Amino acid sequence: MKVDLTTRIKSLVLKNPITVASGTFGTTDEYAGYVDPKKLGAIITKTITVKPRAGNPMPRICETSAGMLNAIGLQNKGLEDFTEHKIPYFKKLGVPLIVSIAGESAEEFGKLAKTFDGMRDVVKALEVNLSCPNVETGGVNFMRKQERILNAVKAVRDQTDLLAFAKISPELGDVLEIAGKVIGQGIDGISLINTLRGMAVDLCTRSSRIAKDFGGLSGPAIKPVALRYVYQVKKEFRVPVIASGGISNTHDALEFLIVGADLLAIGTANFVEPQATLHILKGIEEFCRKEKIRCLEELRGSYRPAGEKGEGCNR
Amino acid sequence: MIVKKYDEDVSLLENKKINGKYFKLAFHSPKLSRNIKPGQFLHVRVNQGQDPYLRRPFSYFRVSPGRAEILYEVLGYGTAILSKKKKGDVLRVMGPLGNAFTENLGKKKRILVAGGVGVPPLIFLAEKYPTEYLLIGTKSKIELMPKSELRKIRAKILCSTEDGSYGTEGRVTLLLEKILMNQHPGEFFIQTCGPKKMMKVVATIAAKYGVKGEASWDESMACGVGACLGCMVRTRSGLKRACADGPVFKFEDLEL
Repeated sequence: MKVDLTTRIKSLVLKNPITVASGTFGTTDEYAGYVDPKKLGAIITKTITVKPRAGNPMPRICETSAGMLNAIGLQNKGLEDFTEHKIPYFKKLGVPLIVSIAGESAEEFGKLAKTFDGMRDVVKALEVNLSCPNVETGGVNFMRKQERILNAVKAVRDQTDLLAFAKISPELGDVLEIAGKVIGQGIDGISLINTLRGMAVDLCTRSSRIAKDFGGLSGPAIKPVALRYVYQVKKEFRVPVIASGGISNTHDALEFLIVGADLLAIGTANFVEPQATLHILKGIEEFCRKEKIRCLEELRGSYRPAGEKGEGCNR
Repeated sequence: MIVKKYDEDVSLLENKKINGKYFKLAFHSPKLSRNIKPGQFLHVRVNQGQDPYLRRPFSYFRVSPGRAEILYEVLGYGTAILSKKKKGDVLRVMGPLGNAFTENLGKKKRILVAGGVGVPPLIFLAEKYPTEYLLIGTKSKIELMPKSELRKIRAKILCSTEDGSYGTEGRVTLLLEKILMNQHPGEFFIQTCGPKKMMKVVATIAAKYGVKGEASWDESMACGVGACLGCMVRTRSGLKRACADGPVFKFEDLEL
């Protein structure tokens, strides 16, 4: 039985719902030796900023229970390098590209949006990163002022009608409230949940195990939180949602699909199993075959709220 | 050049404590054993669960046809799990990763300066390529490699311990400086692996005597393939990834 995994997000048609979370799949072909990127539904790039960013000092990462903290700090070579050296790679690859962008001001968000609007042959959507926990300007601290979020989104919307997702996190404040506002500002969809700020202390130095006091927590540890927010946002607004936050295996991926996620962005799991995306893709297909689900849409959003399971539910 | 990369389940051949500090783990992998060079590393998943979740990088210790070995110290949760693995258990390993130490040094004579956990890849190098000196520095006698692990090495092996319990008392860098002071430093090429503090001193001594060399630079890693940008190293040509652009860097490239 052939399972139709086609995922439609407004005008964008993807062959499956599997993508990679921003910053976890390298800048171009780092994983090409382990995984065929052509099999992915889409690729979300590492966040691109207008100017190059050196990122934070070392150590930038440490492992925690069922996850990791990172304080990379949006290291990237900037917009010009990306359009000149990375876009040609993605153009040749031919996988729908979702570019993650972050600005230090509304003007920068606008500039990034305008630039990628001119590359529609490669760039199919934008993920507007409003929630990086590891940078001073443009990160969660900065964006906690809601008007900055709304200005950033407006600046993007003024420059392009490319499909645009706002990447928000509970670190910004009330997720549902912010989601409602950015949708009101014309954003097409929401990307949830970025990393959650956490801490780890070294007993010898009595200081942080990474070079910053806080880092972004990712991995299986945050999955239940991500799942809850994806469910809530999907239920409340019925807009396209990119889900990320600890999706590590087929079981996790199916849970996110059941609560309604449109795209599943695999993140930290790539570091552990470079083929995690493809294993999950295969696992979803196998599950559908077993459950006689011909089309992913039969599964997506099929969650039965706890109080509404009903007596006839045998699952 | 396309470098072959593998990610495979391997079967353990042995896993035992070889001195007061280190375990030696050997596994069966014809593919990896054919392709590994001294200085490269492998990325190991110690279990299939979600805690601990990340892989752990280990440098290769020794390779023979079909077989690869690593040496490790139990430092935390992951290595404690690893130390309980038995013959026949299966591990997920990725490799060979990173670049290697320069093998052919032309007319230069090789001096290897190893400290603590940096010993394994340099023993591998000394076993495979002509080497003049292998200098090994440890905190104390309990970390010393058993003689059986050193018998294939033809280089002069000099040891130092910080507590003076074996060999020269003090730091291994004293041994290095003594050699460079008393011989023609221009004849040598240094390769070092160990704690960063030690490697910085090695590079400083090398610069003082005008000797070139390479250091294997380690930072906390997540992906091991250059994707996450967690393990950056400051070099003269900007930030480089320890896992993908290194771990071996030329002294003159490192910004210490």
